[in-house]
Amino acid sequence: MTTGVAPALDPHIGIGVRVRRSSHVLGGRSGMVGAILLALLILIAIFAPLLAPYDPEHIDTARVLGAPNWAHPFGSDSLGRDVLSRVLFAYRTSLEVAIGSVLLAAMAGIPLGLVAGYRGGWVEGVIMRPLDMVLSLPALLLAVSLIAILGQGAGVALIAIAFIYMPILARVLRSSVLVVRERPYVAAARARGVTDTTTMVRHVLPNAVGPVLVQATVLMGFAIQIEAALSFLGLGAQPPTPSLGLMLLDGYQVLQQAWWVDVFPGIAIAIAVIAFFLIGDGLRRRYDPAGVTA
Amino acid sequence: MSARSRFILRRLALTIPTLLAMSVFVFLLIRLVPGDPVRTMLGFRATPENVATVRSQLRLDDPLPAQYLTWITNLFQGDLGQDYISGVSVGTLISQRLPVTAELTLLAMFIGVAIGVPLGVLASQGRRFTRRVADGFVVAGVAVPDFWLGTLLVLLFAATLGWLPPSGWSALSDGLVQNLRYMLLPALALGIGEAAYITRTTRSAMVQVLGEPFVQFLRAKGLRDRDIVFRHALRNASMPIVTVIGIQFGVLLGGAIVIETVFGLPGLGRMVVTAIDQRNYTVVQGGVLVIATMFILVTLVTDLLYGWLDPRVEESA
Repeated sequence: MTTGVAPALDPHIGIGVRVRRSSHVLGGRSGMVGAILLALLILIAIFAPLLAPYDPEHIDTARVLGAPNWAHPFGSDSLGRDVLSRVLFAYRTSLEVAIGSVLLAAMAGIPLGLVAGYRGGWVEGVIMRPLDMVLSLPALLLAVSLIAILGQGAGVALIAIAFIYMPILARVLRSSVLVVRERPYVAAARARGVTDTTTMVRHVLPNAVGPVLVQATVLMGFAIQIEAALSFLGLGAQPPTPSLGLMLLDGYQVLQQAWWVDVFPGIAIAIAVIAFFLIGDGLRRRYDPAGVTA
Repeated sequence: MSARSRFILRRLALTIPTLLAMSVFVFLLIRLVPGDPVRTMLGFRATPENVATVRSQLRLDDPLPAQYLTWITNLFQGDLGQDYISGVSVGTLISQRLPVTAELTLLAMFIGVAIGVPLGVLASQGRRFTRRVADGFVVAGVAVPDFWLGTLLVLLFAATLGWLPPSGWSALSDGLVQNLRYMLLPALALGIGEAAYITRTTRSAMVQVLGEPFVQFLRAKGLRDRDIVFRHALRNASMPIVTVIGIQFGVLLGGAIVIETVFGLPGLGRMVVTAIDQRNYTVVQGGVLVIATMFILVTLVTDLLYGWLDPRVEESA
């Protein structure tokens, strides 16, 4: 848990540890279970307007802090809004930030890691040293500092998370490229006179990208937690954007009177995080048995 | 020069550029704010005179390299600038708040190790049931956001059972027991997630070590399982555990930002969050600088510990 960025954030830890993952809660089916769970969550996010029993913004003064019942299974919050409907809509923000931040990070991190690993030498130094510097700061602190510069908002949170993730993805890809570039087919491609760029993109990248997929999935899970933490602090999504973190802030303030306002959004976060972790677990067995990723 | 001192020197030399780069980032923090940071920072007190005074104090009209030199020289003299909202020096603010954050993270780490190492060891050789319990704990501990766990702890121990205060703080100097009553829940909230990571790492490291030939040899020699596990295997499994502890310090320092806010602890993290909200940039800068420095130094210590735990690291350096 911890707004939990570390071991997964740090790709080289796995190398020394050589994680022998016997921790398969679901045996070999974890990837499939995670994928189904995530597909459900994405459908929920997309079809939230159809699925939500109420308008998530509808204020009902008669139901302020109303306890869960059949009409409102998750109860209602301090403004009488239906918590279930709000959770469904909030998944949109969570998933947008989680998937968006990792995609953005991958767009920069993959080319950087690929070139650094393939070229080696001074090129690698020029690319990797600055990225290592970024990793030498606590992730959440870095996100918070970037928000201090850029201002608050869900979009800024997405960019800040992408910024912390980019060096991680670059590093994971680089270590896997280092192995792949020594393979005979890469030498064969070079011997045939294939240009470096084509070799990298056509031969090295497809064979080296597996561990990046694993890491990216796990990072999406953590992004959900980071977004929630930032929003909870008032630094991420701003009202009226529906956000699980903002709901937790709301719930925290009425904790003593109405536990449901706090508990259900929290469970919603945990479920989404677990979905991504399960997929990561499944992918890891397929693409990264040696455990380059954490 | 011995391999050990070469290793230590090399590692120290690597830390200096990291610290420098971090200081440049923190220095730029204020300068990268779009618009005029001084006007934003001063808000309604931004009279032309006030703005001019602060601009000259921060040397914002000098060229950037000169600004940096002044800033870093002041820094080395212990001058972190001034909080333009309260009028206090940032150094004073930090010296009041640093102990709170330090105590919180150390306690959380202690809880993490105290739960994680034994549980990981048990799970590495235990029966199916123990393994399942450990698995469940790891998944839950990693998936649940720490600050939400914090609110659940408040719900249980403060709101329902009434054993501990829901939030607030009491200085260590006013008595350890009172202090711990306020610190326990936040430290647990941070420490339980920590324990999950340490459990996972300890378990996989132990599984690996227990499969090595020297363990078979010790078994053949007739050593008791307990001695093999605690006297020999755990020591050999300590490297990855120490690595995770070192890396997790960064997570704890980040997590402290949120946890301090949940529990109303007057630490560095809460100071930074409040300061961002108030656009109090000099305070943000000081807070980020101190937290980042702590993390870089912890990383350094971890790496040095490495060499001590496994001399092969020093020799290959």
